[in-house]
This record gives sequence, structure tokens and C-alpha cells, in this order.
Amino acid sequence: MSGHVAARRPGLIGVQTLVSDDLEIIRRVLHGEVDRFAELIARYQQHVTRITNRHVPPDRVAEVAHDVFVRAYTSLSSFSRQIPFEHWLSGIAVRTCFDFWRARRREELPVSALTTEHQTWMDHVLAAESDGQFREQARRQEAAELLQWALSRLSAENRLVLTLVHLDGYSVREAAGLLGWSVVNVKVRAHRARQMLRKLLVERKRQEDDTSQ
Amino acid sequence: MTPLNDENFKKLERALTEAHRSRPEPSLGADWTLRVMRDIRREAAGHGQSMTSLGLDRLVWRTAAVAAVLALVFTGSVFFYSNQDAVELTSLLSNEVDAVVPLSE
Repeated sequence: MSGHVAARRPGLIGVQTLVSDDLEIIRRVLHGEVDRFAELIARYQQHVTRITNRHVPPDRVAEVAHDVFVRAYTSLSSFSRQIPFEHWLSGIAVRTCFDFWRARRREELPVSALTTEHQTWMDHVLAAESDGQFREQARRQEAAELLQWALSRLSAENRLVLTLVHLDGYSVREAAGLLGWSVVNVKVRAHRARQMLRKLLVERKRQEDDTSQ
Repeated sequence: MTPLNDENFKKLERALTEAHRSRPEPSLGADWTLRVMRDIRREAAGHGQSMTSLGLDRLVWRTAAVAAVLALVFTGSVFFYSNQDAVELTSLLSNEVDAVVPLSE
């Protein structure tokens, strides 16, 4: 699953040019040419949007991406240049998403948010024999809704780790680097969060099975 | 009604992962960058102000530190010299007392 997150991968020369350009822009911004920061926004807007879109509700993506760039600007002097700007910015994006969920009171979606269609969807997925059938089911609205329901029942920490490691496909080490947490912490949380997801889905399925009998 | 054993859970998890990754990307709107830059310029202006106040703060604290050291030196010297005076006065008085010839002789 690793590497899925990297959507845009220019060639080696392209990457080097991009990195040295970034450093030059950052140097100028730090020397007072604030307007040059718009170039970094233009360059990484899509990257940041892609990350935030995977962690926060669609109607809040613009607002969180906005915060990401403002935070990046205010902490630009702490950018060490030992890692590419894109990686550094990814860390800020992930932590801003984490703060988004931490600041909100946990709003668990009620079980009533799920209908018999979600139960049918689960049965269809499990019964899917071909890859085509499976993909078709995965693209259905019920899949996204069921996932949102399950994620809404997790803490901000577990939610983020589950999304990064199990859904986005980052390695535990990469996720730890993005979050600024220890590898052990992420590993334990990833395991726990996955167990919780499983428990939620098992309970949900059992309830539906009981009512349909 | 399929039970959710290990294999089935993995299948369901794979479907949810697929659903997660195929989320449509929202567009940020034409003036989104302008709004971000407006906030950044505001931050920059505030940062400049805080830098000025930071410089002033530093000056105040340095002056306070120097003043505290001077006060300590002054207190120490006053204590030392006033102590020395007391010793000298005592020795002076005791010399005077010693110098007086007793009446009984």
C-alpha cells in the first residue's frame, strides 16, 4: 500500500530543480518577500488538498488547507532544509487535520444514520466474486457512509492513525514521522484502532442480522 | 448473512479502503489563494510588530539584569564597609577605654 500517497512524482532532475527552487523561494520569503509564498501555495495546493481531503469532511477541506498554509508560513523559519519542503508540509497538513478533530467534540454518528442499505452493501461486498463486482461495491455511497460512521466513533488519535496507516497506506514509520509521534505509539494505536474498527463492524453486522431474522 | 470472520473482515476493510481512496477532490474556489495570502500578509505584519516588541522586551530584560547586578554589588559594598566602620569604631572605643588611667591607682 505504501507509495500510494505520492501522486505526482517528477523525474530526478525535476525533483532537484523543484527542491532548489523551493529553497530559494523560502529564503526570499524569510527575507521579507512575503508575496513569494504564493508560489509555494500554487505548487503545493493540490498536494495539501489531497491530504486534507482524506482526513476531514469535504465541506471543511478548504478551511483546513487554508490553516495548513498559514501554519506553514508562521513556522517557515523552523524548516530545517534537511527534508524536502513537500514532506515538511505534509507533516503540517496531517497535524492540522489532527488538531481539527481534537478541537471538535466527538460527534458520533448515530446507528440510525445507517440503513438496511448499508447492511445490504456489506453482504454484497462479502458475496462479490469478481474484482469488478468488488470495485463497483467499493465505489458506492454506502461504503463512504459506513466508513464515516465507524471513524466518527474513534478518538482523534485513533482516527488519524487508522486513516494514515490502514486507509492511506503509510508505513508506521512514515506515519510516526508525519505526526511527530514515536514509532511504538503509532504501532500500538494502529493495532488498537483496527481492532476497534473490526469490533464496530462486527457489532453492526450482528445487530442487522438479528433484526433481519 | 455472512459471519464477519478474519477473511471477511479483511475483504470489508479492503472495500472501505477503496472507498476512502476514491473520495472526489473538492475544488478550493478561485479566490481561495487570495484569502490565504491575505491572512499570511496579516501574519507577516503582526510578526513584524512582535519582532519590534521582542527587541524592546530583550532590552528591558537586559537592563533589568544589569540593574540587579549593580544593586547586589552596591548592597554588598555597603554591608562590607559599614561592617568595617563598626569594627574600627569598636577598636577606637576600646583603645580609649584602655588609655584611661584607673582612679584607684
